[in-house]
Amino acid sequence: MVKNKYIYYLFLINALINVINFVPRGLIAQRFNGAAMAIVVSVPIGLTLMYLCVKMMNKFPGEGLPEILNANFPRLVSKVMLFGHTLFWYFAGLITLVAFVDVTMRYITSDVSPLLIMVGFLVVVCLAIRLTSESILYGLEVLIVINVPIIIYVLFKALLNPMFSWDAVMQVITYSLKAPSYGAIAQATFIFTGYLNLAVFNRVFDKVRIRQLWLIGIFGFLTLVVTVFIPIGYQGTINVERHVYPWFSTADVLRTKNFIIERVLFFFYFTYLTLSLVSSIIHWHVALEMFKGLFTTKEKKKRKIDPEWWMILAFCAAALILMNTNQFVRDRAGLLYLDGRLIAEMILIFSLYLAHKRRRAKKRE
Amino acid sequence: MRSSKKEQDSLLKWFQEKLSKSSDVEQRSLGNSDQQVNLMYLRSVSDSKVVNQYIIRPYYEMEEEGVYEKYIASFPGSKSSQDAKEALELLLNGYIAIFFNEGTLYLFDAVRAEAGPVAEAQTEVIVQGPSDSFNESMDVNMNLIRRRYQSGDLKAETTTVGHKSKTKIAIMYDETRVDPQVLKELKKCLDGINIDILQAAAELDKYLSGNKYRLFPTTIVTERPDRAVFNISEGKIILIVDTAGFVVILPAVFSDFFTAMDDKLQVLPVGWFLKGIRYLGLILTVLIPGLYVAFTSYNPEVWKVQIALLVAGSRATVPYPSYIEVLIMLLMMEFLTEASLRLPKAIGPTATTVGGLILGTAATEAGLVSNIMIILVSAVAISNFVIPMNMMGFTIRVIKYPFIFLATIYGLLGIVLGLVSVIMYLSSLRSFGQPYFKIYALDRIRTNKVQRERENG
Repeated sequence: MVKNKYIYYLFLINALINVINFVPRGLIAQRFNGAAMAIVVSVPIGLTLMYLCVKMMNKFPGEGLPEILNANFPRLVSKVMLFGHTLFWYFAGLITLVAFVDVTMRYITSDVSPLLIMVGFLVVVCLAIRLTSESILYGLEVLIVINVPIIIYVLFKALLNPMFSWDAVMQVITYSLKAPSYGAIAQATFIFTGYLNLAVFNRVFDKVRIRQLWLIGIFGFLTLVVTVFIPIGYQGTINVERHVYPWFSTADVLRTKNFIIERVLFFFYFTYLTLSLVSSIIHWHVALEMFKGLFTTKEKKKRKIDPEWWMILAFCAAALILMNTNQFVRDRAGLLYLDGRLIAEMILIFSLYLAHKRRRAKKRE
Repeated sequence: MRSSKKEQDSLLKWFQEKLSKSSDVEQRSLGNSDQQVNLMYLRSVSDSKVVNQYIIRPYYEMEEEGVYEKYIASFPGSKSSQDAKEALELLLNGYIAIFFNEGTLYLFDAVRAEAGPVAEAQTEVIVQGPSDSFNESMDVNMNLIRRRYQSGDLKAETTTVGHKSKTKIAIMYDETRVDPQVLKELKKCLDGINIDILQAAAELDKYLSGNKYRLFPTTIVTERPDRAVFNISEGKIILIVDTAGFVVILPAVFSDFFTAMDDKLQVLPVGWFLKGIRYLGLILTVLIPGLYVAFTSYNPEVWKVQIALLVAGSRATVPYPSYIEVLIMLLMMEFLTEASLRLPKAIGPTATTVGGLILGTAATEAGLVSNIMIILVSAVAISNFVIPMNMMGFTIRVIKYPFIFLATIYGLLGIVLGLVSVIMYLSSLRSFGQPYFKIYALDRIRTNKVQRERENG
């Protein structure tokens, strides 16, 4: 059993990781069409979902989603649902990894082949997802504590720079009153989704409590504002949409004056690579556990090779195939994933509610 | 009467058979042929003065055998045993077997343990604070601990490990503070150890942790009684290994290996500073070689221009890629450390002079390695020695090579991959069921707050 604080880390990792993903790009694309409003709206939506999910999860202390679904739903229904969730979590991890292969190629080492980079990522991630949930949480904590100071440093560096154009930011803010699209809301709520990893990590929590929900709300809101407006402040209201990774381009603008490393990009890269890896580890760990939940049979056979390895092998094979897609396909898929995610999240929470009801009904009988 | 006499004879015979071909066996008969008491002991492990003074002389001063038997039984440490096998074990341990006429057998404690005096600590030197260290005798070691921890809660259980060496091991812990789960697991582990000879505390550490291929030590091996006592007070368990001179502390966490005992003596900010220095040393010694490879071969653009040019200029004469340069120099440094460790004290300094001064200067002048490389290698070596616990220091020495490998393949990316892997690996380790690598400082602030609240009511 782990302490309650780890739920905050699970939230934090998603909130921090969103800037490298498709969230800023999606929101920036709609900066004149309600992105700002989407940010405002996403806070209550995200918090409500978080509150409901934690509340529902508390009804099943020490249980993960696979156990809950398998026990309370017909076999077929639970299998379909688990498979769907596996896909969503798998894609969450995969998108991060593929994006980072691309970033590495563009900004850091163009000498290494993308395949080799992907293999490196996969080795680290796949070895780590087999660890126990507790171990992953401990590692997550350490990496976040190491990286948060660097993030704060980069943030200050960005905000205090005289070249930062507040006018551009103001210009975009004047479009705040536009009604947001569903896509923008789905993208903005992504940063609150970290709690959803409870679906598996609930196994190691005693009882989850989230205190100061409003503080999380404010933090989430500020994160989103920073995510969208800092690139706009540096690259202008119009040109900002030409960047594939707006945040990396922004970090590359900054330079330190009194240090042996000149480009802030490298701090940024270091931080976000470690965080992306650990985020992928978490997502794939959840995906793996869900996938294993698909195949639980009553009697446990001892096999020579742990079936887990076959699943991991499947994960890797799919990742190596899917990384060859081109930029546009990936872009579309990323935004599609974010759109679908919000619905899947609601389905998950609703299914938990149903499971709770069914279990209570069963008990009454 | 005759029958019991026979019994005594057969018992004696059995012992003689078991101990045949041992030249240090002493067997003596006291009294006349009718009323006879037989003694048997090993000259090498029993104290002959004790035998003369407390066993042989009183026999002739006493009138009756019954009184003598009572006299023997009254000594602390004497046992009457029915089990011949157990008796034999005790005999080998240094006890004296006394066979009485009625077939009863007494074992009299006359163990002579040779151990060095309580000397100064050699491997964990500190500036201020107590300087005594454990020696090879378990009783002395227990004394060193009991004297510093005078509480009835301090328990000491003994057991033996090793089929042939029968090494005595004392498990000491504070009953009120110890985690019972850890204690249970430890006892299970100790029962499971299946070896012939146990001679050193560090060896025990290897067998206890189960996984042979783990990289980091999960128990502390120390020679300082003050460290042992401090850890007992924190709820940890210590194992005193007889004849070892070191004790094992468990469960250990990662940060324990970066604490020196005089941290407690420093004023608080200085203590923090020293601790910070050690972690900085850890990061530097692990990462510098890898970073050098990554920066020179893959990402020279990371540096400020002046530094990048300086490094490139210094490497101008070096005829091979940076990773070979690093490997050559690091290996030379490993040889140097290893050589000066094992050399007799009289020759040791020569090795350092030859290696450090002459080899380093000549290598740069010949253009085989860059000047900056020499600086970095020395920095790596020095920062490695900052780590106060030896076991961890050795691990860290090994850990930097995978980083060089990763940097050779991936550049800067490889270093990050390595860091994440190491952190995930560390978090997956457990020391007797307790997490090994967590940020304890954050927990501690909280528990302190809770404690303070509780004390204030």
